[in-house]
Amino acid sequence: MRQRAMWSAVLVVGLALAGCGSASDSGKSTSSDGKLVVWDWKSGEPFAKSYLDKAKADFKKKHSDVEVEFVAQPFDQYYTLLGAAIQSGKGPDVMLFNGGGQIRDRVDALVPLNDYVTEDKQRLAGWEAFTKDAKIYASPVTLQGYPIYYNKAIYQKANLDPASPATTWDKFTADCTAIAKAGAKCFALGNKEGVGIQFWLSSLGSTTLTAQEYDAWITGKRDWQSPNVKRLFQLWKEAGDKKMNSDGANSTAMFNDSFALFQSGKAAHVMGLMSDVGHWQDFNEFLTPEKLGVMKAPIVTAGTTPSLPYDGGIGYAVAKWTKDPKMAADLVRSLSSADALKAFYADAGAIAADTTIDVSQAGPAVATLVSELKSGKPALHVALSSKTLDLMGRLSQQLLSGSITVDEVVKQLAASDQAG
Amino acid sequence: MSRVRLGWWLIAIPMSLLALATIYPLLFTANVAMKTRRDYILDRFSLTDALRWENISTAWNSVGMGRYFVNSLLVVTASVLLLLLLGSMAGFALSQLRFRGSSALFLGCLAGLFIPFQVVMVPLARIMADTALIDTYPGLVLVYVAQFLPFTVFLMTSYYKGIPPEIVDAARIDGSTVYGVYRRIMLPLGTPALLSVGILNALFCWNDVLMALVMMPSAEHRTLMVGVTSLRGQYSDNIPTFASGVLIAAIPVLLVYLFLQRQIADGVAAGSTKG
Repeated sequence: MRQRAMWSAVLVVGLALAGCGSASDSGKSTSSDGKLVVWDWKSGEPFAKSYLDKAKADFKKKHSDVEVEFVAQPFDQYYTLLGAAIQSGKGPDVMLFNGGGQIRDRVDALVPLNDYVTEDKQRLAGWEAFTKDAKIYASPVTLQGYPIYYNKAIYQKANLDPASPATTWDKFTADCTAIAKAGAKCFALGNKEGVGIQFWLSSLGSTTLTAQEYDAWITGKRDWQSPNVKRLFQLWKEAGDKKMNSDGANSTAMFNDSFALFQSGKAAHVMGLMSDVGHWQDFNEFLTPEKLGVMKAPIVTAGTTPSLPYDGGIGYAVAKWTKDPKMAADLVRSLSSADALKAFYADAGAIAADTTIDVSQAGPAVATLVSELKSGKPALHVALSSKTLDLMGRLSQQLLSGSITVDEVVKQLAASDQAG
Repeated sequence: MSRVRLGWWLIAIPMSLLALATIYPLLFTANVAMKTRRDYILDRFSLTDALRWENISTAWNSVGMGRYFVNSLLVVTASVLLLLLLGSMAGFALSQLRFRGSSALFLGCLAGLFIPFQVVMVPLARIMADTALIDTYPGLVLVYVAQFLPFTVFLMTSYYKGIPPEIVDAARIDGSTVYGVYRRIMLPLGTPALLSVGILNALFCWNDVLMALVMMPSAEHRTLMVGVTSLRGQYSDNIPTFASGVLIAAIPVLLVYLFLQRQIADGVAAGSTKG
């Protein structure tokens, strides 16, 4: 009797699976069937709703008979999943990418958008992060930068002037000593995943490298043996040795634990973001806009001029296997339309790629950030390949723990960088 | 203090600490699931001041966990039934039937234990796409069966090796076919091992994220664990909602463990002793 029941169960499940197996195939490209599938990691979040609604409405005006389905994938596995989709040649029509190495490593699977986005070129900023060999592969949605935020309340407690943060590295370290005496840490640092060094490199890059070195770095001509490049890594180590960082940086996640340290007033500075989280809107909520400051990087190398490091943050791209690239490109354009980006700025607090959006109501920190966009430069770490960034993350942990020298670090990074 | 009492304390204290260390992550998750985002950011270790069930309902509703729950149940049930069927057949054949190459076949099955999914992921995704099995329930069931069959075969073979071959011989002399021996003798005798290995496989399949994510990329076919991970974006910082999702996904596993812990322990030890 029991065996009969088991065989029946097998049969029932088998039949059920056979029926379910033919369920809709929303993971696959279906643009010719009146449907576009988009993969991202944003659409599931409540703050993205109005942004997507505006983008869909804009797209509907051009293609009223086409359905758009957004599939929010878990970010932790997003690029693994994308890799499998690219290898199998089947996946979404449109997909979200981070600017820099993540998209440049996968351009073989993408459609160049140059011919489709001509009208948007002037209105949007941040294209470089989605460009390879003069071909544009995604339209920017946000700008992502790496400003140094500071807590004015801690400055006051340490008897420092919140209106004039340090402009040189020596003055800055002296301020950090005062901050330590006041009971706070100088930097909120999370380097568990090795991401901390990336923000460090980009935040301090413009005041450590000369203008020529900086430009050469961005164009790929990186001199890893330059004293100024080495200085960036020495400063990283010095900050750790002088206990300027929050405790246990190598075991603290940047997202979102190090930002929580800053938000809760345990550290005076954080190298944060302009969009997503760990940015002005999050910090405003905890510190209030009046207490949140944004400072220029302190000058490490005499003669350098601080500039805001930023690039295109995230952007949507079109997959090569899509059946109607023009239609998919239209959707990408809708996702970067002015109305949609305005909603994204308002709800998510992102500095949108459309710099004409009025941000005057967002508080002084945003006003400072936006005013610095014009003189800003691409971030140093975004120019590196994801492989070199991974290596840098691991080496930065060893630097903090004291198990490797700066010379060895730059040697290994140079080898990885040259290997491409 | 008597020597016996001292001995009891020497065992009880470390064991209690071990139990606390084991259960703490669950308690921490439950505590975080009841907090507001603000409370979590300001002090994640403090006890919650109220039971906020809205985090649970947000997690449940925001990614359609009801559907994912059914998907998981369907896929896990089918996978486990197939694993038990194939594993017990293979275990019976490899342990009781004498045929040339059986040892090599067993070693071949064991080799599968040492291949992590990440190694075969890309070619497998390609094959599944070529055969139109990607993003289908049977496709994921096949992947689970392929991935966990070596473990099942290993355990069932070890278990069946403990059954005296004379029973099989006697049944054959009485005129039973090989299939009859399997169905009438080996399956009933293997019930304890089948139960244990079934529970373990169900836990493996239920807790899997990577295979389910790669093989079922569309939103409606997701399993529960993939649904939970999708509650976290790149920088998403609503940890209380995420913790609520983790809690929802953990409850079935906890229930299985609470009610069937003896069988799980037996399953791990199956075949380690004869008799």
